Amino acid sequence: MSTSIQHWRLTLRTQPALRLDLRALSPTALAGLDAATISGITLHHGNEAVTVGDFFTVAPETDATPEECANAPSLSLTGDLRRVDRIGWQMDGGCLRVIGHAGDYLACGMKSGRLQVDGDARDFVAAELSGGRVQVDGHVGDFAAASLPGSMEGMRGGQLSIAGDAGDRLGDRMRRGTVWVGGRAGDYLASRLVAGTLAIAGEVGAYPAYGMRRGTLLLLGAHAPIASTFVETRHDYRVYWTLLRRHLASAGGRFATLPEALPTRFAGDLAADGQGEVLCTGRVD
Amino acid sequence: MPSETSAMQINGITIDDTFAEAFPMKGTRLVVTAHNATWAEHAGRAFTGFATSVIACGCEAAIERTLDGVDTPDGRPGVSILVFSMSGKELAKQVERRVGQCILTCPTTAVYGGLDEGEAIPLGKNLRFFGDGWQISKNFDGTRYWRVPVMDGEFVCEESTRVIKGVGGGNLLLLARDTDAALRASETAVAAIRNVPNVIMPFPGGVVRSGSKVGSKYAALPASTNDAYCPALTPLVRSQLDETTHCVMEIVIDGLSEADVANAMRAGIAAAVALGPASGLQRLSAGNYGGKLGPFHFHLHALSNAGPAS
Repeated sequence: MSTSIQHWRLTLRTQPALRLDLRALSPTALAGLDAATISGITLHHGNEAVTVGDFFTVAPETDATPEECANAPSLSLTGDLRRVDRIGWQMDGGCLRVIGHAGDYLACGMKSGRLQVDGDARDFVAAELSGGRVQVDGHVGDFAAASLPGSMEGMRGGQLSIAGDAGDRLGDRMRRGTVWVGGRAGDYLASRLVAGTLAIAGEVGAYPAYGMRRGTLLLLGAHAPIASTFVETRHDYRVYWTLLRRHLASAGGRFATLPEALPTRFAGDLAADGQGEVLCTGRVD
Repeated sequence: MPSETSAMQINGITIDDTFAEAFPMKGTRLVVTAHNATWAEHAGRAFTGFATSVIACGCEAAIERTLDGVDTPDGRPGVSILVFSMSGKELAKQVERRVGQCILTCPTTAVYGGLDEGEAIPLGKNLRFFGDGWQISKNFDGTRYWRVPVMDGEFVCEESTRVIKGVGGGNLLLLARDTDAALRASETAVAAIRNVPNVIMPFPGGVVRSGSKVGSKYAALPASTNDAYCPALTPLVRSQLDETTHCVMEIVIDGLSEADVANAMRAGIAAAVALGPASGLQRLSAGNYGGKLGPFHFHLHALSNAGPAS
């Protein structure tokens, strides 16, 4: 009697010459299928239709899955996947792990589940994420947690944790959820932020929180470039700060030891609604 | 007239062969924190004022226990409050009014829901509008908080609190030689019950001296004095007292579950009987309505033998 396999590993066998679209694959979509069926699933390589088997070796996962994924479908992708886009596209449950680097649109529109990348990921990571948890151990490109072109809202729920650096426009039009960045963030960080929380451990580029409407941006770098359209407020917000610290501590690292002392708080962007806040622990420029 | 029920004796104290009759209620727990324990207690006392009985207060509420910073969401000292009402709708009304007038107004406080399960009712959901548009919403791990600007900084409150089915009306009657003995026995039992989690005793000091019966000779009154336990009426009515009993006190207990109320009554009985007859405590009894009104029956003999409530 055969049992349906819930945990699969796909190993990149042939480096794609063009962009390879992996939106058809997700842990829940592959759960219960057999290797031959998975190998026959159609993908797009540029504008050419190909199959999973053309690029990947399909095999049941032999490594132990994390405890939290033991009872959920899981999918591991191994190899240098920088030319592979839309990994975890609109993923809804299960666990997906990339052992290597990932391309564009990682976890874009993801609804639930857990996605982890051991390496770097390119642009639009967790764009329009609505639920689940995404963890990137390396760096990410531009427009992480942002909106897709033409869309009004960026990330709208869930959690995105980036151990390395983030590119420009991180959290553009973000609406809800939490983003942690263990390294630096680029220009226009949290631009047009609608709501949600971003915490940046390192230095940030120019124009942070440009056009911010609501939400919280926490800057832990040595200095923060605050625009003149933000005003400092000097009130006691220790209760909220404690709640925020405890929430952010789950990401570990520097976020696990945030100081009890209140950061300097700026309200803004007064050029927009002005209901957002930037909290700075370092020197303000 | 002496009691007609059979009885058992523990440590010289008579335990009537009777039961407390309790009712289903809707209950919730709130966690109130403040800058220090004093202000948390101010808030808790204000919130639970005029909340002794659903007969006229709309809810029954009391401070369940004090909390140090380890147990609270924001790391500050606080109090946990249990609130019970006869319906979820009335409970929601009472919670919103009391939080709005007694917690929001109290310096440095914040308020959170204290239960993980149950139907959600508004906590800060509507109070946020006090912020006149300056209120800020934050959602951490699925829990929504509101930050309302106030004159001492910010009032932080969770958006909702959970409501579960509770049990109200567990009770003990302490029959004693005189007032001093009845008070001492009551205080001892109350102190023991305060160590039991998930229960409150909503009356002043946990004790009520005006125990009631259902109905009255006056048609407009739903309840009136429990004449069978009034020493002033011993020779005049079908009394449950004998001529040596001159003071009776009652402890009313509300809890989040039947087991919680049973545990509380068990603790109260044990503490009271430990005083012995020299203390002036004579009997323990309980109030009921013949078992026809409330589905929860807490038999004193079973509780005295550490057996389960039936």
